[in-house]
Amino acid sequence: MTMVKKSPLNNIHKEFGAKFTEFAGFEMPIQFSSIKDEHLTVRKTVGLFDVSHMSNVWIAGKEAEELITLTTVEDASKIKDGMSQYTAILREDGTIIDDTIFMHLGGKYMIIPNAGMSDEVTRWLNEKAEEHNISATAEDVSRDYVILAIQGPKSRETLQKLTDTDLKTVGFFGCQYVDVAGVDCIISHTGYTGELGFELQITPPKSAEELFYKIIDAGKEFGIKPIGLGARDTLRLEKCFLLAGNEFEGGRTPLEATMSWAINWDHEFIGKDALLKQKEKGDYHRLTYLECIDRGIPRHGFEVQKEGKKIGVVSSGTLSPCLNKGLAMAYVHPDFREKDGVLDIVIRGRQVKAKVVKPPFVKKDWAKQN
Amino acid sequence: MANEIRNDLKYTDTHEWLKVKGNTALVGITDHAQSELTDIVFAELPEIGKELKKGDELCVVESVKSVSEIYAPISGKVVGVNGKLEDTPEIINDSPYDDGWLVELEIKDKDELDDLLDADSYKEKI
Repeated sequence: MTMVKKSPLNNIHKEFGAKFTEFAGFEMPIQFSSIKDEHLTVRKTVGLFDVSHMSNVWIAGKEAEELITLTTVEDASKIKDGMSQYTAILREDGTIIDDTIFMHLGGKYMIIPNAGMSDEVTRWLNEKAEEHNISATAEDVSRDYVILAIQGPKSRETLQKLTDTDLKTVGFFGCQYVDVAGVDCIISHTGYTGELGFELQITPPKSAEELFYKIIDAGKEFGIKPIGLGARDTLRLEKCFLLAGNEFEGGRTPLEATMSWAINWDHEFIGKDALLKQKEKGDYHRLTYLECIDRGIPRHGFEVQKEGKKIGVVSSGTLSPCLNKGLAMAYVHPDFREKDGVLDIVIRGRQVKAKVVKPPFVKKDWAKQN
Repeated sequence: MANEIRNDLKYTDTHEWLKVKGNTALVGITDHAQSELTDIVFAELPEIGKELKKGDELCVVESVKSVSEIYAPISGKVVGVNGKLEDTPEIINDSPYDDGWLVELEIKDKDELDDLLDADSYKEKI
């Protein structure tokens, strides 16, 4: 039997007029007003996302740091208390189980696996702790937390109204405990939109209800809106952020997913040998960023061609609300990834020309110029 | 909810509408369909002169998140397409029964019109 899980804020979403979708076993809002409108709201002012479908796992014990160092591409000893880090958990063969952020909170770590990944990640971490005699345990607490993301150029001003903590002291990827409108939260200066933004981990879930309304109230003067998963996807795609279900489908390594920047090679981790071998061979398809020249919207699974020959496959595609062009992230043969190279994306039998561009598709100052 | 249904149109249970104009008919998608699809951002229209059988794929409309095939409610030849959709596909959302029409078909077999739903029957379906 499969049960569809709901966010603890499901009723609030309904009240705000959400249309729902099922994503990784969760019924979550796909949109409230419209994807385009929500998208532009986040780029230009501020939006509030409930992302409680994401997971929460505590890693604790006197060797918690060692467990993270072994099981991710980051050396956790380099990440100070009060900082968070984006990383990936790999299998022995180098393929990604999940990408996640871990937050260092006073000797304990909280990781945020993707929706539906908490069981697998928790089990994996505990297995590895046992196999390697590491004194640490992973505990899945996903059901105890609501996760809210406040994203957009006005996100800091919005949240600042609700807390005495000077949010300017929470630096990029910083994390700490904070009181927001009387609710104890973990705040991190992180997000999935490429804009200024914060994420709040809130427990117990009930306490998030009032907070949701308070954030909406605080952002009213900026035109804050609740944002659904539709705009969350288009926002991340314009910034070339990975979506696990799309970009890791079928088993992809961080080298293929162009996550090399996140790999700390100066430590031993599960999957490292496989990555070193792959790196040496160098013949692997890797994520490539394509902007359509012709009209058309690339979608997941579409073929990429050069002179009629298949050279890759689209992992994520959409129409960009900011650029009004079709965009694709695609795994492409290394010979065809040169910047400004023109490839074809096959859309319902039609070859649509697309240009290889440097990520991100939408640059940092887009909202100021538009 | 946007669920306008017009009495002078015929409907399919796949949410297309058809408006007979002598020997030809305009085809579009219903208000209910546009509302379900959400923001339409692209319409791929057929070539003029294309012959279609009832139920064939007539065109494709895409929202940000989805791709939807629109089927020919009747058999016929494509004699016109809505050129405005190329630059402003959102008019399908704004005006599904007027400015946002998709394709004009030359009616091949008038008897097929009898198989379509009237406004009341369509209303029951949605």
